[in-house]
Amino acid sequence: MITDVFKRGFVIEKKRSEWRSYELIGLWALRLTLVLVLFILGVIVFDIVSKGAGVINWEFLTQPPRTGMTEGGIFPAIVGTFYVTLITIAFAVPLGVGAAIYLNEYAVQGKFTRLVRMSVRNLAGVPSIVFGLFGMAVFVKLFGFGPSLIAAGFTLGLLTLPVTVTASEEALRTVPRAYREGSFALGATRWQVVRTVVLPRAIPGILTGTILGLARAAGETAPILATGAAFFLPHLPDSIRSQFMALPYHLFIMSTQHHAISQVRPIAYGTALVLLSLVCLLNLAAVLLRKRYRNRIAKGL
Amino acid sequence: MMHTNTNLTLEEIRVQEKIKSEPARVKTDIEEGYCEVNVENLNFFYGAVQALFNVTIKVQKKGVAALIGPSGCGKSTFLRVLNRMNDLIPGTRLEGKVSIHGEDIYAPNTDVVSLRKKVGMVFQHPNPFPKSIFDNIAYGPRIDGLKDKAALSEIVEKSLKGAALWDEVKDRLNAPALALSGGQQQRLCIARALAVEPRILLMDEPTSAIDPIATQRIEDLIRDLCADYTIIIVTHNMQQAARISDYTCFFLQGEMIEWGKTSILFTNPEDQRTEDYITGRFG
Repeated sequence: MITDVFKRGFVIEKKRSEWRSYELIGLWALRLTLVLVLFILGVIVFDIVSKGAGVINWEFLTQPPRTGMTEGGIFPAIVGTFYVTLITIAFAVPLGVGAAIYLNEYAVQGKFTRLVRMSVRNLAGVPSIVFGLFGMAVFVKLFGFGPSLIAAGFTLGLLTLPVTVTASEEALRTVPRAYREGSFALGATRWQVVRTVVLPRAIPGILTGTILGLARAAGETAPILATGAAFFLPHLPDSIRSQFMALPYHLFIMSTQHHAISQVRPIAYGTALVLLSLVCLLNLAAVLLRKRYRNRIAKGL
Repeated sequence: MMHTNTNLTLEEIRVQEKIKSEPARVKTDIEEGYCEVNVENLNFFYGAVQALFNVTIKVQKKGVAALIGPSGCGKSTFLRVLNRMNDLIPGTRLEGKVSIHGEDIYAPNTDVVSLRKKVGMVFQHPNPFPKSIFDNIAYGPRIDGLKDKAALSEIVEKSLKGAALWDEVKDRLNAPALALSGGQQQRLCIARALAVEPRILLMDEPTSAIDPIATQRIEDLIRDLCADYTIIIVTHNMQQAARISDYTCFFLQGEMIEWGKTSILFTNPEDQRTEDYITGRFG
Protein backbone atom coordinates (compact mmCIF):
# COMPACT_ATOMS: atom_id res chain seq x y z
CA MET A 1 0.00 0.00 0.00
CA ILE A 2 2.81 2.36 0.90
CA THR A 3 4.58 1.46 -2.33
CA ASP A 4 1.36 2.35 -4.16
CA VAL A 5 1.45 5.81 -2.64
CA PHE A 6 5.01 6.27 -3.76
CA LYS A 7 4.29 4.98 -7.23
CA ARG A 8 1.50 7.47 -7.58
CA GLY A 9 3.81 10.19 -6.32
CA PHE A 10 6.26 9.21 -8.98
CA VAL A 11 3.64 9.49 -11.70
CA ILE A 12 2.72 12.97 -10.51
CA GLU A 13 6.32 13.97 -10.72
CA LYS A 14 6.65 12.72 -14.26
CA LYS A 15 3.81 14.96 -15.35
CA ARG A 16 5.11 18.01 -13.57
CA SER A 17 5.34 20.01 -16.79
CA GLU A 18 1.55 20.26 -16.74
CA TRP A 19 1.47 21.82 -13.28
CA ARG A 20 0.97 25.51 -12.54
CA SER A 21 2.98 27.05 -9.72
CA TYR A 22 0.02 27.40 -7.34
CA GLU A 23 -0.79 23.77 -7.96
CA LEU A 24 2.76 22.88 -7.02
CA ILE A 25 2.19 24.54 -3.65
CA GLY A 26 -0.85 22.36 -3.18
CA LEU A 27 1.12 19.33 -4.26
CA TRP A 28 3.81 20.06 -1.68
CA ALA A 29 1.21 20.63 1.01
CA LEU A 30 -0.30 17.24 0.23
CA ARG A 31 3.11 15.65 0.21
CA LEU A 32 3.80 17.17 3.60
CA THR A 33 0.65 15.59 5.05
CA LEU A 34 1.84 12.23 3.81
CA VAL A 35 5.27 12.75 5.33
CA LEU A 36 3.67 13.78 8.62
CA VAL A 37 1.47 10.70 8.72
CA LEU A 38 4.43 8.46 8.02
CA PHE A 39 6.48 10.33 10.61
CA ILE A 40 3.87 9.87 13.34
CA LEU A 41 3.55 6.20 12.48
CA GLY A 42 7.31 5.90 12.52
CA VAL A 43 7.61 7.54 15.93
CA ILE A 44 5.04 5.21 17.44
CA VAL A 45 6.64 2.11 16.00
CA PHE A 46 10.13 3.29 16.92
CA ASP A 47 9.09 4.12 20.48
CA ILE A 48 7.53 0.71 21.03
CA VAL A 49 10.25 -1.26 19.29
CA SER A 50 13.14 0.55 20.94
CA LYS A 51 11.70 0.26 24.43
CA GLY A 52 10.10 -3.14 24.01
CA ALA A 53 12.70 -5.10 22.05
CA GLY A 54 15.06 -5.25 25.03
CA VAL A 55 12.77 -7.32 27.22
CA ILE A 56 11.72 -9.76 24.55
CA ASN A 57 13.48 -13.07 24.80
CA TRP A 58 12.52 -16.71 24.91
CA GLU A 59 11.67 -16.54 28.59
CA PHE A 60 9.43 -13.49 28.13
CA LEU A 61 7.41 -15.32 25.48
CA THR A 62 7.16 -18.68 27.24
CA GLN A 63 6.96 -17.98 30.98
CA PRO A 64 4.12 -16.74 33.17
CA PRO A 65 4.54 -13.50 35.15
CA ARG A 66 6.31 -13.92 38.49
CA THR A 67 6.77 -12.08 41.76
CA GLY A 68 3.73 -9.83 41.65
CA MET A 69 3.97 -9.48 37.88
CA THR A 70 7.19 -7.56 38.09
CA GLU A 71 9.22 -10.34 36.48
CA GLY A 72 8.73 -13.28 34.15
CA GLY A 73 6.92 -13.38 30.87
CA ILE A 74 3.56 -12.95 29.25
CA PHE A 75 2.92 -16.48 28.02
CA PRO A 76 -0.60 -16.81 29.53
CA ALA A 77 -1.62 -13.54 27.87
CA ILE A 78 -0.43 -14.76 24.47
CA VAL A 79 -2.27 -18.04 24.90
CA GLY A 80 -5.41 -16.26 26.13
CA THR A 81 -5.47 -13.89 23.17
CA PHE A 82 -4.96 -16.86 20.84
CA TYR A 83 -7.86 -18.81 22.38
CA VAL A 84 -10.24 -15.89 22.50
CA THR A 85 -9.47 -15.10 18.86
CA LEU A 86 -10.28 -18.68 17.90
CA ILE A 87 -13.65 -18.39 19.59
CA THR A 88 -14.22 -15.06 17.87
CA ILE A 89 -13.58 -16.75 14.51
CA ALA A 90 -15.88 -19.64 15.32
CA PHE A 91 -18.63 -17.20 16.26
CA ALA A 92 -18.26 -14.35 13.78
CA VAL A 93 -17.26 -16.08 10.54
CA PRO A 94 -20.18 -18.46 10.04
CA LEU A 95 -22.64 -15.87 11.28
CA GLY A 96 -21.23 -12.98 9.28
CA VAL A 97 -20.64 -14.86 6.04
CA GLY A 98 -24.03 -16.55 6.32
CA ALA A 99 -25.80 -13.25 6.84
CA ALA A 100 -23.92 -11.71 3.91
CA ILE A 101 -24.83 -14.60 1.63
CA TYR A 102 -28.47 -14.32 2.61
CA LEU A 103 -28.54 -10.55 2.20
CA ASN A 104 -26.80 -10.54 -1.13
CA GLU A 105 -27.95 -13.73 -2.82
CA TYR A 106 -31.33 -14.62 -1.38
CA ALA A 107 -33.13 -11.62 0.08
CA VAL A 108 -35.33 -9.56 -2.19
CA GLN A 109 -33.55 -6.21 -2.40
CA GLY A 110 -35.69 -3.41 -1.06
CA LYS A 111 -36.38 -1.18 1.91
CA PHE A 112 -35.82 -3.94 4.41
CA THR A 113 -32.42 -5.03 3.09
CA ARG A 114 -31.36 -1.39 2.91
CA LEU A 115 -32.38 -0.94 6.53
CA VAL A 116 -30.49 -4.06 7.57
CA ARG A 117 -27.36 -2.93 5.72
CA MET A 118 -27.54 0.50 7.27
CA SER A 119 -27.92 -0.98 10.75
CA VAL A 120 -25.00 -3.35 10.25
CA ARG A 121 -22.81 -0.49 9.10
CA ASN A 122 -23.83 1.67 12.02
CA LEU A 123 -23.05 -1.19 14.36
CA ALA A 124 -19.42 -0.76 13.29
CA GLY A 125 -19.46 2.69 14.87
CA VAL A 126 -20.67 1.56 18.28
CA PRO A 127 -17.92 2.15 20.87
CA SER A 128 -16.27 -1.08 21.92
CA ILE A 129 -16.98 -0.45 25.61
CA VAL A 130 -20.69 -0.61 24.75
CA PHE A 131 -20.12 -4.02 23.22
CA GLY A 132 -18.34 -4.95 26.45
CA LEU A 133 -21.29 -3.87 28.51
CA PHE A 134 -23.70 -5.75 26.26
CA GLY A 135 -21.51 -8.85 26.41
CA MET A 136 -21.51 -8.73 30.18
CA ALA A 137 -25.28 -8.31 30.38
CA VAL A 138 -26.13 -10.98 27.82
CA PHE A 139 -23.36 -13.58 27.66
CA VAL A 140 -22.02 -13.36 31.20
CA LYS A 141 -25.29 -12.83 33.06
CA LEU A 142 -28.30 -13.74 30.93
CA PHE A 143 -26.78 -16.81 29.25
CA GLY A 144 -24.93 -17.63 32.44
CA PHE A 145 -21.54 -18.15 30.80
CA GLY A 146 -19.90 -16.21 33.60
CA PRO A 147 -16.70 -14.27 32.90
CA SER A 148 -15.08 -16.69 30.46
CA LEU A 149 -13.34 -17.25 27.14
CA ILE A 150 -16.65 -17.96 25.46
CA ALA A 151 -18.35 -14.82 26.75
CA ALA A 152 -15.41 -12.65 25.70
CA GLY A 153 -15.02 -14.44 22.37
CA PHE A 154 -18.69 -13.94 21.54
CA THR A 155 -18.49 -10.28 22.54
CA LEU A 156 -15.49 -9.75 20.29
CA GLY A 157 -17.36 -11.69 17.63
CA LEU A 158 -20.23 -9.21 17.81
CA LEU A 159 -17.70 -6.42 17.50
CA THR A 160 -16.27 -7.87 14.28
CA LEU A 161 -19.63 -8.83 12.75
CA PRO A 162 -20.18 -5.52 10.93
CA VAL A 163 -16.76 -5.82 9.32
CA THR A 164 -17.28 -9.46 8.42
CA VAL A 165 -20.75 -8.89 6.98
CA THR A 166 -19.79 -5.78 5.04
CA ALA A 167 -16.55 -7.23 3.68
CA SER A 168 -18.28 -10.48 2.71
CA GLU A 169 -21.10 -8.66 1.00
CA GLU A 170 -18.67 -6.50 -0.93
CA ALA A 171 -16.76 -9.59 -1.98
CA LEU A 172 -19.97 -11.31 -3.10
CA ARG A 173 -21.01 -8.25 -5.04
CA THR A 174 -17.80 -8.21 -7.07
CA VAL A 175 -18.60 -11.62 -8.58
CA PRO A 176 -19.66 -10.80 -12.15
CA ARG A 177 -23.31 -11.26 -12.99
CA ALA A 178 -22.29 -13.20 -16.10
CA TYR A 179 -21.03 -16.07 -13.92
CA ARG A 180 -24.29 -16.25 -12.01
CA GLU A 181 -26.36 -16.13 -15.19
CA GLY A 182 -24.17 -18.74 -16.86
CA SER A 183 -24.68 -21.04 -13.92
CA PHE A 184 -28.42 -20.46 -13.65
CA ALA A 185 -28.81 -21.04 -17.40
CA LEU A 186 -27.28 -24.51 -16.96
CA GLY A 187 -30.00 -25.44 -14.52
CA ALA A 188 -28.22 -24.74 -11.26
CA THR A 189 -30.25 -24.10 -8.14
CA ARG A 190 -29.55 -20.91 -6.24
CA TRP A 191 -27.47 -22.72 -3.66
CA GLN A 192 -25.47 -24.46 -6.39
CA VAL A 193 -24.80 -21.10 -8.00
CA VAL A 194 -23.59 -19.72 -4.67
CA ARG A 195 -21.50 -22.75 -3.79
CA THR A 196 -19.84 -23.48 -7.15
CA VAL A 197 -19.50 -20.08 -8.78
CA VAL A 198 -20.04 -17.22 -6.36
CA LEU A 199 -18.26 -18.38 -3.20
CA PRO A 200 -15.03 -19.62 -4.84
CA ARG A 201 -14.69 -16.21 -6.40
CA ALA A 202 -15.67 -14.26 -3.28
CA ILE A 203 -13.63 -16.18 -0.70
CA PRO A 204 -10.45 -14.11 -1.03
CA GLY A 205 -12.34 -10.91 -0.26
CA ILE A 206 -14.27 -12.57 2.55
CA LEU A 207 -11.07 -13.93 4.09
CA THR A 208 -9.13 -10.72 3.98
CA GLY A 209 -12.03 -8.70 5.35
CA THR A 210 -12.50 -11.20 8.14
CA ILE A 211 -8.83 -11.27 9.06
CA LEU A 212 -8.70 -7.48 9.22
CA GLY A 213 -11.73 -7.56 11.51
CA LEU A 214 -10.05 -10.16 13.69
CA ALA A 215 -6.88 -8.11 13.87
CA ARG A 216 -8.92 -5.30 15.33
CA ALA A 217 -10.72 -7.62 17.75
CA ALA A 218 -7.49 -9.19 18.96
CA GLY A 219 -6.25 -5.79 20.09
CA GLU A 220 -9.44 -4.68 21.84
CA THR A 221 -9.50 -4.26 25.59
CA ALA A 222 -12.87 -2.81 26.45
CA PRO A 223 -15.07 -5.70 25.24
CA ILE A 224 -13.12 -8.29 27.25
CA LEU A 225 -12.71 -6.13 30.33
CA ALA A 226 -16.03 -7.17 31.83
CA THR A 227 -16.56 -10.46 30.02
CA GLY A 228 -13.69 -12.68 31.07
CA ALA A 229 -10.21 -11.16 30.95
CA ALA A 230 -8.35 -11.58 34.24
CA PHE A 231 -5.73 -9.48 35.93
CA PHE A 232 -3.60 -12.48 36.75
CA LEU A 233 -4.16 -16.24 36.64
CA PRO A 234 -1.77 -18.81 38.04
CA HIS A 235 -2.63 -21.35 35.31
CA LEU A 236 -3.71 -21.42 31.68
CA PRO A 237 -7.41 -21.60 30.78
CA ASP A 238 -8.52 -25.25 30.60
CA SER A 239 -12.01 -24.84 29.14
CA ILE A 240 -14.08 -22.28 27.27
CA ARG A 241 -15.67 -21.44 30.63
CA SER A 242 -12.33 -20.38 32.15
CA GLN A 243 -11.24 -16.83 32.63
CA PHE A 244 -8.13 -15.87 30.74
CA MET A 245 -5.32 -13.35 30.46
CA ALA A 246 -5.07 -11.37 27.23
CA LEU A 247 -2.39 -9.17 25.69
CA PRO A 248 -4.34 -5.91 25.39
CA TYR A 249 -5.72 -6.22 28.90
CA HIS A 250 -2.32 -7.15 30.28
CA LEU A 251 -0.90 -4.07 28.63
CA PHE A 252 -3.67 -1.95 30.15
CA ILE A 253 -2.87 -3.28 33.61
CA MET A 254 0.86 -2.99 33.25
CA SER A 255 0.63 0.61 32.12
CA THR A 256 -2.09 1.93 34.45
CA GLN A 257 -3.16 -0.44 37.23
CA HIS A 258 0.00 -2.07 38.48
CA HIS A 259 1.36 -1.20 41.96
CA ALA A 260 4.81 -0.47 40.58
CA ILE A 261 4.10 1.07 37.22
CA SER A 262 7.50 2.58 36.51
CA GLN A 263 9.21 -0.66 37.47
CA VAL A 264 7.16 -2.76 35.03
CA ARG A 265 7.23 -0.23 32.19
CA PRO A 266 9.64 -2.41 30.13
CA ILE A 267 7.24 -5.35 30.47
CA ALA A 268 4.42 -3.12 29.27
CA TYR A 269 6.46 -2.09 26.24
CA GLY A 270 7.37 -5.69 25.56
CA THR A 271 3.70 -6.64 25.71
CA ALA A 272 2.85 -3.78 23.37
CA LEU A 273 5.47 -4.96 20.91
CA VAL A 274 4.19 -8.53 20.98
CA LEU A 275 0.61 -7.32 20.47
CA LEU A 276 1.66 -5.04 17.64
CA SER A 277 3.59 -7.85 15.95
CA LEU A 278 0.59 -10.14 16.29
CA VAL A 279 -1.72 -7.62 14.65
CA CYS A 280 0.85 -6.93 11.93
CA LEU A 281 1.17 -10.65 11.36
CA LEU A 282 -2.58 -10.98 10.91
CA ASN A 283 -2.64 -8.06 8.49
CA LEU A 284 0.30 -9.54 6.62
CA ALA A 285 -1.56 -12.83 6.38
CA ALA A 286 -4.52 -10.95 4.88
CA VAL A 287 -2.30 -9.25 2.31
CA LEU A 288 -0.57 -12.51 1.33
CA LEU A 289 -3.85 -14.37 1.05
CA ARG A 290 -5.29 -11.65 -1.14
CA LYS A 291 -2.22 -11.72 -3.31
CA ARG A 292 -2.32 -15.47 -3.68
CA TYR A 293 -5.96 -15.50 -4.70
CA ARG A 294 -5.47 -12.53 -7.03
CA ASN A 295 -2.76 -14.45 -8.84
CA ARG A 296 -5.07 -17.40 -9.11
CA ILE A 297 -7.85 -15.26 -10.48
CA ALA A 298 -5.45 -13.62 -12.93
CA LYS A 299 -4.57 -17.09 -14.14
CA GLY A 300 -8.28 -17.80 -14.58
CA LEU A 301 -8.62 -20.71 -12.19
CA MET B 1 -50.94 3.80 -28.46
CA MET B 2 -47.33 3.53 -29.50
CA HIS B 3 -47.67 5.27 -32.82
CA THR B 4 -50.38 7.81 -32.25
CA ASN B 5 -47.86 10.57 -31.75
CA THR B 6 -46.60 10.36 -35.30
CA ASN B 7 -48.44 11.80 -38.27
CA LEU B 8 -49.86 8.87 -40.09
CA THR B 9 -52.19 8.77 -43.00
CA LEU B 10 -55.53 7.11 -42.53
CA GLU B 11 -54.34 4.28 -44.71
CA GLU B 12 -51.27 3.72 -42.55
CA ILE B 13 -53.33 3.74 -39.39
CA ARG B 14 -55.72 1.24 -40.91
CA VAL B 15 -52.83 -1.06 -41.78
CA GLN B 16 -51.38 -0.77 -38.32
CA GLU B 17 -54.68 -1.51 -36.66
CA LYS B 18 -55.03 -4.57 -38.83
CA ILE B 19 -51.58 -5.76 -37.86
CA LYS B 20 -52.31 -5.26 -34.20
CA SER B 21 -55.64 -7.02 -34.30
CA GLU B 22 -54.27 -10.17 -35.92
CA PRO B 23 -50.81 -10.66 -34.46
CA ALA B 24 -49.39 -11.16 -37.88
CA ARG B 25 -48.66 -14.11 -40.08
CA VAL B 26 -48.35 -16.54 -37.24
CA LYS B 27 -47.07 -19.79 -38.61
CA THR B 28 -50.22 -21.75 -38.20
CA ASP B 29 -49.08 -24.42 -40.63
CA ILE B 30 -46.86 -26.04 -37.98
CA GLU B 31 -48.56 -29.24 -36.96
CA GLU B 32 -48.98 -29.91 -33.27
CA GLY B 33 -46.25 -32.57 -33.09
CA TYR B 34 -43.67 -30.37 -34.79
CA CYS B 35 -44.18 -27.36 -32.62
CA GLU B 36 -41.35 -26.78 -30.14
CA VAL B 37 -42.24 -23.42 -28.65
CA ASN B 38 -45.71 -21.98 -28.58
CA VAL B 39 -46.18 -18.46 -27.33
CA GLU B 40 -49.64 -16.95 -27.21
CA ASN B 41 -50.55 -13.36 -26.43
CA LEU B 42 -47.45 -12.72 -24.39
CA ASN B 43 -47.23 -9.43 -22.52
CA PHE B 44 -44.14 -8.78 -20.47
CA PHE B 45 -43.45 -6.05 -17.93
CA TYR B 46 -40.40 -4.72 -16.13
CA GLY B 47 -42.18 -3.14 -13.20
CA ALA B 48 -44.55 -0.63 -14.78
CA VAL B 49 -42.78 -0.66 -18.14
CA GLN B 50 -44.22 -2.99 -20.71
CA ALA B 51 -41.53 -4.59 -22.85
CA LEU B 52 -43.51 -7.05 -24.96
CA PHE B 53 -46.97 -6.50 -26.44
CA ASN B 54 -49.23 -9.38 -27.31
CA VAL B 55 -46.59 -11.54 -28.94
CA THR B 56 -47.74 -14.75 -30.55
CA ILE B 57 -45.20 -17.09 -32.12
CA LYS B 58 -44.86 -20.76 -32.85
CA VAL B 59 -41.38 -22.13 -33.35
CA GLN B 60 -40.88 -25.33 -35.23
CA LYS B 61 -38.72 -28.20 -34.00
CA LYS B 62 -35.12 -28.21 -35.22
CA GLY B 63 -33.72 -25.49 -37.45
CA VAL B 64 -32.79 -21.93 -36.66
CA ALA B 65 -35.19 -19.15 -35.84
CA ALA B 66 -33.70 -15.66 -35.81
CA LEU B 67 -35.10 -12.72 -33.89
CA ILE B 68 -34.17 -9.38 -35.39
CA GLY B 69 -34.99 -5.80 -34.58
CA PRO B 70 -33.41 -2.60 -33.35
CA SER B 71 -31.97 -2.25 -29.83
CA GLY B 72 -34.59 -2.24 -27.10
CA CYS B 73 -37.22 -3.88 -29.27
CA GLY B 74 -37.72 -6.71 -26.80
CA LYS B 75 -36.06 -9.55 -28.68
CA SER B 76 -33.65 -10.38 -25.85
CA THR B 77 -36.46 -10.10 -23.33
CA PHE B 78 -38.46 -12.53 -25.43
CA LEU B 79 -35.54 -14.95 -25.55
CA ARG B 80 -35.13 -14.83 -21.79
CA VAL B 81 -38.81 -15.53 -21.32
CA LEU B 82 -38.22 -18.95 -22.85
CA ASN B 83 -35.85 -20.20 -20.12
CA ARG B 84 -37.29 -17.97 -17.42
CA MET B 85 -34.04 -16.08 -16.93
CA ASN B 86 -36.19 -12.99 -16.43
CA ASP B 87 -37.27 -14.54 -13.13
CA LEU B 88 -33.91 -13.40 -11.78
CA ILE B 89 -34.82 -9.77 -12.33
CA PRO B 90 -37.02 -8.48 -9.51
CA GLY B 91 -40.30 -6.85 -10.45
CA THR B 92 -40.90 -8.57 -13.76
CA ARG B 93 -44.37 -9.79 -14.69
CA LEU B 94 -45.78 -11.83 -17.51
CA GLU B 95 -49.19 -12.38 -19.06
CA GLY B 96 -50.15 -14.91 -21.69
CA LYS B 97 -49.12 -18.45 -22.36
CA VAL B 98 -45.68 -19.82 -23.10
CA SER B 99 -45.41 -23.53 -23.69
CA ILE B 100 -42.52 -25.73 -24.67
CA HIS B 101 -43.34 -29.23 -25.92
CA GLY B 102 -46.93 -28.49 -25.01
CA GLU B 103 -46.10 -27.78 -21.37
CA ASP B 104 -46.92 -24.39 -19.93
CA ILE B 105 -43.56 -23.26 -18.54
CA TYR B 106 -45.15 -20.55 -16.41
CA ALA B 107 -47.56 -22.93 -14.72
CA PRO B 108 -47.22 -22.75 -10.92
CA ASN B 109 -45.77 -26.25 -10.63
CA THR B 110 -43.07 -25.75 -13.24
CA ASP B 111 -39.60 -26.84 -12.18
CA VAL B 112 -37.48 -23.95 -13.44
CA VAL B 113 -34.25 -25.84 -12.84
CA SER B 114 -35.21 -28.70 -15.12
CA LEU B 115 -36.68 -26.26 -17.64
CA ARG B 116 -33.29 -24.58 -17.92
CA LYS B 117 -31.66 -27.94 -18.44
CA LYS B 118 -33.94 -28.47 -21.43
CA VAL B 119 -33.54 -24.94 -22.74
CA GLY B 120 -29.87 -24.01 -22.86
CA MET B 121 -28.57 -20.50 -23.30
CA VAL B 122 -25.52 -18.83 -24.81
CA PHE B 123 -24.91 -15.21 -23.91
CA GLN B 124 -23.74 -12.16 -25.77
CA HIS B 125 -20.38 -12.03 -24.06
CA PRO B 126 -18.64 -15.37 -23.67
CA ASN B 127 -18.90 -16.19 -19.96
CA PRO B 128 -16.82 -19.25 -19.18
CA PHE B 129 -16.38 -19.81 -15.46
CA PRO B 130 -12.91 -19.11 -14.06
CA LYS B 131 -12.23 -22.83 -14.04
CA SER B 132 -10.46 -25.24 -16.36
CA ILE B 133 -11.86 -26.14 -19.78
CA PHE B 134 -12.80 -29.56 -18.47
CA ASP B 135 -14.52 -28.20 -15.36
CA ASN B 136 -16.50 -25.71 -17.45
CA ILE B 137 -17.97 -28.42 -19.66
CA ALA B 138 -18.46 -30.81 -16.76
CA TYR B 139 -20.21 -28.11 -14.74
CA GLY B 140 -23.76 -28.93 -15.83
CA PRO B 141 -23.51 -32.72 -15.43
CA ARG B 142 -21.77 -32.24 -12.08
CA ILE B 143 -24.45 -30.05 -10.57
CA ASP B 144 -26.82 -32.72 -11.79
CA GLY B 145 -25.01 -35.11 -9.48
CA LEU B 146 -22.75 -36.96 -11.94
CA LYS B 147 -19.43 -37.79 -10.26
CA ASP B 148 -18.03 -40.65 -12.33
CA LYS B 149 -14.82 -39.40 -13.91
CA ALA B 150 -15.01 -41.61 -16.99
CA ALA B 151 -18.58 -40.61 -17.74
CA LEU B 152 -17.70 -36.95 -17.29
CA SER B 153 -14.72 -37.28 -19.63
CA GLU B 154 -16.95 -38.83 -22.21
CA ILE B 155 -19.47 -35.98 -21.96
CA VAL B 156 -16.71 -33.38 -22.13
CA GLU B 157 -15.27 -34.91 -25.27
CA LYS B 158 -18.64 -35.30 -26.93
CA SER B 159 -19.70 -31.76 -26.10
CA LEU B 160 -16.43 -30.22 -27.26
CA LYS B 161 -16.65 -32.19 -30.49
CA GLY B 162 -20.23 -31.04 -30.87
CA ALA B 163 -19.08 -27.46 -30.56
CA ALA B 164 -16.18 -27.98 -32.98
CA LEU B 165 -13.63 -27.14 -30.31
CA TRP B 166 -12.22 -30.55 -29.43
CA ASP B 167 -9.25 -30.54 -31.82
CA GLU B 168 -8.11 -27.17 -30.53
CA VAL B 169 -8.24 -27.97 -26.83
CA LYS B 170 -7.95 -31.74 -26.42
CA ASP B 171 -4.33 -31.46 -25.26
CA ARG B 172 -5.02 -28.84 -22.61
CA LEU B 173 -8.31 -29.67 -20.98
CA ASN B 174 -6.91 -28.58 -17.62
CA ALA B 175 -5.89 -25.16 -18.88
CA PRO B 176 -8.00 -22.23 -17.71
CA ALA B 177 -10.95 -21.55 -19.99
CA LEU B 178 -10.28 -17.84 -19.76
CA ALA B 179 -6.95 -18.35 -21.56
CA LEU B 180 -8.84 -19.23 -24.76
CA SER B 181 -9.55 -16.65 -27.44
CA GLY B 182 -12.93 -14.91 -27.50
CA GLY B 183 -14.26 -17.09 -30.30
CA GLN B 184 -13.02 -20.25 -28.60
CA GLN B 185 -14.59 -19.11 -25.33
CA GLN B 186 -17.93 -18.70 -27.06
CA ARG B 187 -17.70 -22.18 -28.57
CA LEU B 188 -16.76 -23.42 -25.10
CA CYS B 189 -19.94 -21.85 -23.78
CA ILE B 190 -21.89 -23.60 -26.53
CA ALA B 191 -20.19 -26.88 -25.58
CA ARG B 192 -21.02 -26.21 -21.92
CA ALA B 193 -24.66 -25.77 -22.86
CA LEU B 194 -24.62 -28.94 -25.01
CA ALA B 195 -23.23 -30.96 -22.10
CA VAL B 196 -26.59 -30.79 -20.29
CA GLU B 197 -28.29 -32.23 -23.39
CA PRO B 198 -30.83 -29.49 -23.99
CA ARG B 199 -33.42 -29.65 -26.76
CA ILE B 200 -33.49 -25.95 -27.40
CA LEU B 201 -30.56 -23.57 -27.55
CA LEU B 202 -31.17 -19.88 -27.01
CA MET B 203 -28.46 -17.58 -28.26
CA ASP B 204 -28.42 -13.92 -27.36
CA GLU B 205 -26.27 -12.16 -29.98
CA PRO B 206 -23.60 -14.85 -29.63
CA THR B 207 -21.21 -13.31 -32.15
CA SER B 208 -21.53 -9.61 -31.40
CA ALA B 209 -18.40 -9.60 -29.24
CA ILE B 210 -16.34 -11.75 -31.57
CA ASP B 211 -14.18 -11.14 -34.64
CA PRO B 212 -15.44 -11.98 -38.17
CA ILE B 213 -13.48 -15.20 -38.66
CA ALA B 214 -14.54 -16.62 -35.31
CA THR B 215 -18.07 -15.46 -36.12
CA GLN B 216 -18.06 -17.52 -39.27
CA ARG B 217 -16.98 -20.60 -37.36
CA ILE B 218 -19.81 -20.10 -34.92
CA GLU B 219 -22.30 -19.58 -37.74
CA ASP B 220 -21.11 -22.82 -39.35
CA LEU B 221 -21.49 -24.50 -35.98
CA ILE B 222 -25.03 -23.19 -35.61
CA ARG B 223 -25.94 -24.63 -39.01
CA ASP B 224 -24.49 -27.99 -37.96
CA LEU B 225 -26.23 -28.00 -34.59
CA CYS B 226 -29.66 -27.13 -35.95
CA ALA B 227 -29.99 -30.65 -37.31
CA ASP B 228 -30.32 -31.85 -33.72
CA TYR B 229 -31.42 -28.82 -31.75
CA THR B 230 -33.98 -26.08 -32.05
CA ILE B 231 -31.95 -22.89 -32.10
CA ILE B 232 -33.44 -19.50 -31.41
CA ILE B 233 -30.96 -16.73 -31.97
CA VAL B 234 -31.18 -13.02 -31.32
CA THR B 235 -29.04 -11.03 -33.69
CA HIS B 236 -28.35 -7.43 -34.55
CA ASN B 237 -26.84 -8.50 -37.79
CA MET B 238 -29.41 -8.95 -40.54
CA GLN B 239 -26.93 -10.60 -42.87
CA GLN B 240 -26.32 -13.14 -40.16
CA ALA B 241 -30.03 -13.80 -39.79
CA ALA B 242 -30.31 -14.18 -43.57
CA ARG B 243 -27.32 -16.52 -43.70
CA ILE B 244 -28.12 -18.93 -40.92
CA SER B 245 -31.82 -18.90 -40.09
CA ASP B 246 -34.74 -20.84 -41.49
CA TYR B 247 -37.30 -18.53 -39.94
CA THR B 248 -36.98 -14.90 -39.05
CA CYS B 249 -39.04 -12.82 -36.73
CA PHE B 250 -38.97 -9.04 -36.71
CA PHE B 251 -39.59 -7.19 -33.45
CA LEU B 252 -40.20 -3.48 -33.12
CA GLN B 253 -40.90 -1.61 -29.89
CA GLY B 254 -42.03 -4.72 -28.10
CA GLU B 255 -44.29 -5.95 -30.84
CA MET B 256 -43.80 -8.88 -33.10
CA ILE B 257 -44.26 -7.27 -36.50
CA GLU B 258 -43.63 -10.05 -38.92
CA TRP B 259 -42.67 -13.67 -38.82
CA GLY B 260 -42.01 -16.09 -41.61
CA LYS B 261 -39.57 -18.07 -43.67
CA THR B 262 -36.28 -16.18 -43.84
CA SER B 263 -36.14 -16.39 -47.61
CA ILE B 264 -39.56 -14.76 -47.89
CA LEU B 265 -39.20 -12.21 -45.11
CA PHE B 266 -35.97 -10.82 -46.50
CA THR B 267 -37.07 -10.72 -50.15
CA ASN B 268 -40.71 -9.94 -49.90
CA PRO B 269 -41.70 -8.55 -46.51
CA GLU B 270 -45.38 -7.87 -45.96
CA ASP B 271 -45.07 -5.05 -43.52
CA GLN B 272 -43.64 -1.69 -44.49
CA ARG B 273 -41.74 -1.45 -41.18
CA THR B 274 -40.02 -4.77 -41.82
CA GLU B 275 -39.01 -3.56 -45.22
CA ASP B 276 -37.73 -0.29 -43.83
CA TYR B 277 -35.69 -2.14 -41.24
CA ILE B 278 -34.15 -4.78 -43.46
CA THR B 279 -33.31 -2.24 -46.13
CA GLY B 280 -31.52 -0.23 -43.49
CA ARG B 281 -33.78 2.78 -43.29
CA PHE B 282 -33.62 2.67 -39.48
CA GLY B 283 -32.29 0.56 -36.65
